Amino acid sequence: MSDDTTRREPVEKVIELRLPSKLGYERVAMDTASSLARRMGFHADRVESLKTAISEAVTNAIEHGNQHDAAMKVVVLLTARADELIVHVADQGRKQLDQECTTPEPKIEDAFEREDKGGWGIWLIRELMDEVEFTTAPSGGNQVRMVIHLEQ
Amino acid sequence: MSTPSPTQMSMELTLPSELGYEVIARDAVAAFARRLGISPDRLEDLKTALSEACINAIEHGNLLKPGLRVQIFCRFEEEQLIIEVVDQGVNAFAPKGEPLSITEKIAGLGSLRGMGLMLISQLCDEAGFVPRHGTGNCFRFAFYRRPTPALQR
Repeated sequence: MSDDTTRREPVEKVIELRLPSKLGYERVAMDTASSLARRMGFHADRVESLKTAISEAVTNAIEHGNQHDAAMKVVVLLTARADELIVHVADQGRKQLDQECTTPEPKIEDAFEREDKGGWGIWLIRELMDEVEFTTAPSGGNQVRMVIHLEQ
Repeated sequence: MSTPSPTQMSMELTLPSELGYEVIARDAVAAFARRLGISPDRLEDLKTALSEACINAIEHGNLLKPGLRVQIFCRFEEEQLIIEVVDQGVNAFAPKGEPLSITEKIAGLGSLRGMGLMLISQLCDEAGFVPRHGTGNCFRFAFYRRPTPALQR
């Protein structure tokens, strides 16, 4: 059968979102991912974990990768499969992410000593998502790939 | 830094051309509009208008063919949120003339379907198909952040 309408549908569905690098717009990525995850059947607590992880990843891309340059975009790819949701967050790499920063084990005692209480984002992402990988995006920017499994 | 002013914010969204995904588009664009200070009641109008525009793109522009995409471009300039919904143009979909009113439809002057465009035109401040370079139908509609008194309801 060669008719396009009878061709088998792809097993994964991709949503692409391109956002300005301005703090606050991570909410758009959070709401989009939440909408998709609910539609896929994720439990409410897993949706909250996903939203937090995406918020941290997009905030990192805005603050660190794109250095708050709102003209630069943050690209969020949401790939829905039958049993998992894959999220890619990529920046345009104004600043490359130090690979040593991708496996942090922050200690709360150290944070008491520091004026800057930040630095928990990547640790939090790793705690909340089932798979996490930091790579270089095709555009040359920083990219994080996060996977959350759909438990039936 | 080449930071644009908040009046030039933009975002793009690309979705599978499949009924149901308009819900995700609606939530994404509503979140963007909320950041720009669009009022809650206008947000509801925006969500309805966007859903209708996406369904039109999926059903009429892309003729429900699997594997196709719908693109949504949003930008904020001169106090207007401008939204463009673009399909892949399997079917050239640009109705002739103004959409019929509900009274005209009930009077039998046209199909009882096709309420979407009429609804969108009632909900937003500007709406219509615009020419586009390349393939695809492009439906553009706009919401003013602060409607003129004549547009306030």
